[in-house]
Amino acid sequence: MNTRRVVITGSGLICGAGRNPAAVLEALGSGQSAIGPIEAWDTSGWPVRIAAEVRDYNAGALTGDRKLLKYIRRTDVFGLYAADRAIEEAGFASYRAALDEAAAATFADSAGVFVGSGGGSFANQYDFLPLIAAAGGNLESFGRELSATVNPMWLLRSLPNNVLGHVGIRHGLKGPNACVTHHSVSGLLALAEAAAALRADECTRAVVVAHDASIEAQMALYYHRAGLMSAQGLFAFDARHDGSVMGEGAGALVLETETAARERGASVLGEVLGSGNAGDALGLLPVREDGDALARAIASALTNSGIGPGNIGMVIAHGNGTPNSDASEARALRQVFGTDLPPVTGFKWSFGHLLAAAGMLEVVVALAALRARIVPGMPTLGTAAPHCEGLNLSREARVPRSDLALVLSRGFGGTNAACVLRAAAP
Amino acid sequence: MSAAPRRVAITGLGLVTPVGNDVASTWQALLAARSGAALINSFDASGFPVRIAAEVKGLDPAAVERAFGERKLLKMANRAHRFALVAAAQALDDAGIRPTAATATRWGCVVGTGMMGVSYDELSEVQRDAASAGELEPARLLEAPGAPADPLVFCRSTANAGAALLMRVFGIRGYSSSVHTACASGGQAVGTALKLIRRGEADCVLAGGFDSMINPVGLSGFCLLNAVSPDNDSPTTASRPFDASRNGFVLGEGAGFLVLEEWSAARQRGAHIYAELAGDGNSLSSYRITDSHPSGDGPIQAMRQAMRDAGAALGDIDYLNAHGTSTPMNDRSECAAIKAVFGEGRHRLAVSSTKSVMGHLIAAAGAVEAAVCALSIHHGVLPVNANLRELDPDCDIDVVRDVPRKRRVRVALSNSLGFGGSNSCLAFRHPDEAEALARWRAS
Repeated sequence: MNTRRVVITGSGLICGAGRNPAAVLEALGSGQSAIGPIEAWDTSGWPVRIAAEVRDYNAGALTGDRKLLKYIRRTDVFGLYAADRAIEEAGFASYRAALDEAAAATFADSAGVFVGSGGGSFANQYDFLPLIAAAGGNLESFGRELSATVNPMWLLRSLPNNVLGHVGIRHGLKGPNACVTHHSVSGLLALAEAAAALRADECTRAVVVAHDASIEAQMALYYHRAGLMSAQGLFAFDARHDGSVMGEGAGALVLETETAARERGASVLGEVLGSGNAGDALGLLPVREDGDALARAIASALTNSGIGPGNIGMVIAHGNGTPNSDASEARALRQVFGTDLPPVTGFKWSFGHLLAAAGMLEVVVALAALRARIVPGMPTLGTAAPHCEGLNLSREARVPRSDLALVLSRGFGGTNAACVLRAAAP
Repeated sequence: MSAAPRRVAITGLGLVTPVGNDVASTWQALLAARSGAALINSFDASGFPVRIAAEVKGLDPAAVERAFGERKLLKMANRAHRFALVAAAQALDDAGIRPTAATATRWGCVVGTGMMGVSYDELSEVQRDAASAGELEPARLLEAPGAPADPLVFCRSTANAGAALLMRVFGIRGYSSSVHTACASGGQAVGTALKLIRRGEADCVLAGGFDSMINPVGLSGFCLLNAVSPDNDSPTTASRPFDASRNGFVLGEGAGFLVLEEWSAARQRGAHIYAELAGDGNSLSSYRITDSHPSGDGPIQAMRQAMRDAGAALGDIDYLNAHGTSTPMNDRSECAAIKAVFGEGRHRLAVSSTKSVMGHLIAAAGAVEAAVCALSIHHGVLPVNANLRELDPDCDIDVVRDVPRKRRVRVALSNSLGFGGSNSCLAFRHPDEAEALARWRAS
């Protein structure tokens, strides 16, 4: 069981449903979904025409640094925005301004950055399409014309770890770090590694951020052809569920050891108790029917947190809206909780599936919901899908059973992650 | 948490590198300083400003098929995944242990992976089918017959496709992760694996890295940044870390894997232990995305942290496998870090960069070089820093030059420093030293 306490002192997010936790909670409460027609490209005639895009995208305003835009991409802009907001809320800048030089250096060396990243997009490589077109399949001329045609910053703009590097540079954080590119569990894994580093005394503070922007034509087409996308909406656990809907954005938290937070008088929003991670070993796309690895991930998260299933106040399910993921997730939940399930809900009907960023965004929103003592409802629910009955879901908002939430993520490769959070009273 | 901290044994190694497709041949090439660099063979690089690289050569298709077990899975694998599966199978065979139905959930898998992307041929199909003028026309993707319609292209290019294959083929059902911090990826993957076993989330971990950027797009990225050596006429001496005339790195490819086990369990089953994976240091330079700080700030903290984590003093370190890319800036900055950490003691620390022979394996580099450290402890021999003619005066350290050096290594360090500013330093301890230290601590 984890002994050293890891507290949350800042949070930030951006997604189709809003740009701060309160706004997203408000959208969830009023039944608003950001899922709508895709604007990124003309989808007339496309099988995939909906997503939860971030509207009114202005990269300069979001990052506050136009010059930086030469070196980063849309997904990085989201990651930096969320991380900036979390660090702002944690009040690092004013605390550091008062430190002497030696203490400021110690602060920097003991502050880590842990990132969950989508790992890239197909569009990253489109910078080469004009060159390939001009070279007409002739590699010799491709090589010769390279420097004159392709943006010299191509590789740097495409680094999967750009947010890690730039958050560090922007905020002067120089401690332990990681950039997890493990599909949809990336965010929760980054959170787990950050919390573990704090518990092992490898750092005293850590920024955790996960970001993704996968709403692009080639990606959407592949997901559609893999049978993973819905044309009508994201109806997790509902009889109408027939696939997922993509979202984009980022979620971020600032974590500190309890001692470090107290030392600087930071207000505490909550606590990360423990997490678990397990795999099904079936390959990239198959999902095991009985939800075995998810059940094991939840069990180890509970054990690491030193609690039992009865302590959980609400469950934020992965609920991606694909029939086999929903059904196996339901089985895993029943296996762990038996018939006495705490309120279970999901958020993806509102802001879509953010892939690598999904878990962190949902952790940030879950924390805000827990603090408001709300289990947001799922207005997309009608009749429960086969195997998804008796999950203690609701269309209406409810009150959590306790101040603890369990957040779940599942990704390609049969990966499953679970995390337990505690909310501090507001 | 139990009272005695859990320690980690390295019990299996696997390598696919530009100088050998297994551990023995790679080690021999490192000792003989037999360079893996040559004119690029896998595609027509004649128009590129840089036409040399260190490619993996002659990987036996039968070995690849054996590693995958099922033929159909081969279609899910790109070039780097093939390297990974072969190296991982070698490591497991070497360790003499595999996940079983009873142990699968206690096995983890942590890998350093390269950047996501499709191959040049597949990208050319996207261009042919949907971007005839060089600009993607999304509407045309719908009817495109080639790569955009091929679900296997999607599978191979997914960021965690390699980890998914490894878990499936070897039946690993516990904690898994893919990490990418550019050239530090492999080192950070091994460091993450160490912590998983320490904190009890796994008893055994298959840890490693794999990458292949020797293709028109990958090579282009480094050419555009002027990061690779342009010595097209002398490929075998193009990578010369710490030499005064160095002018860039040589792009390599390959995979390195380690089997890590909780120490007492490894001892109990009578496993051969190459070394203890004793410590991990991990820092962020937060200076510039591609430049390293001239003072060595960043790597300094990583090295100190790795030694502290391993409970090793400066005088215990006998060997450093340097990041040593052979770019003017990296080697100067890394040497500044070595000087800052070791002071005058640096003259008793033997240093070599095996990138002088293998080239730079990018996301695989840290894992491959971790295996090299384990081998140098095991054999009591330090591999050569090849091609060193005139030591850069800024690199005033004890470089293992000309011939390998016999030396009993008590503790070795391995540096991996990445674009984006991530720095990884791993510490390895001789198994006898590890046992002695454990006895001393227990008494």
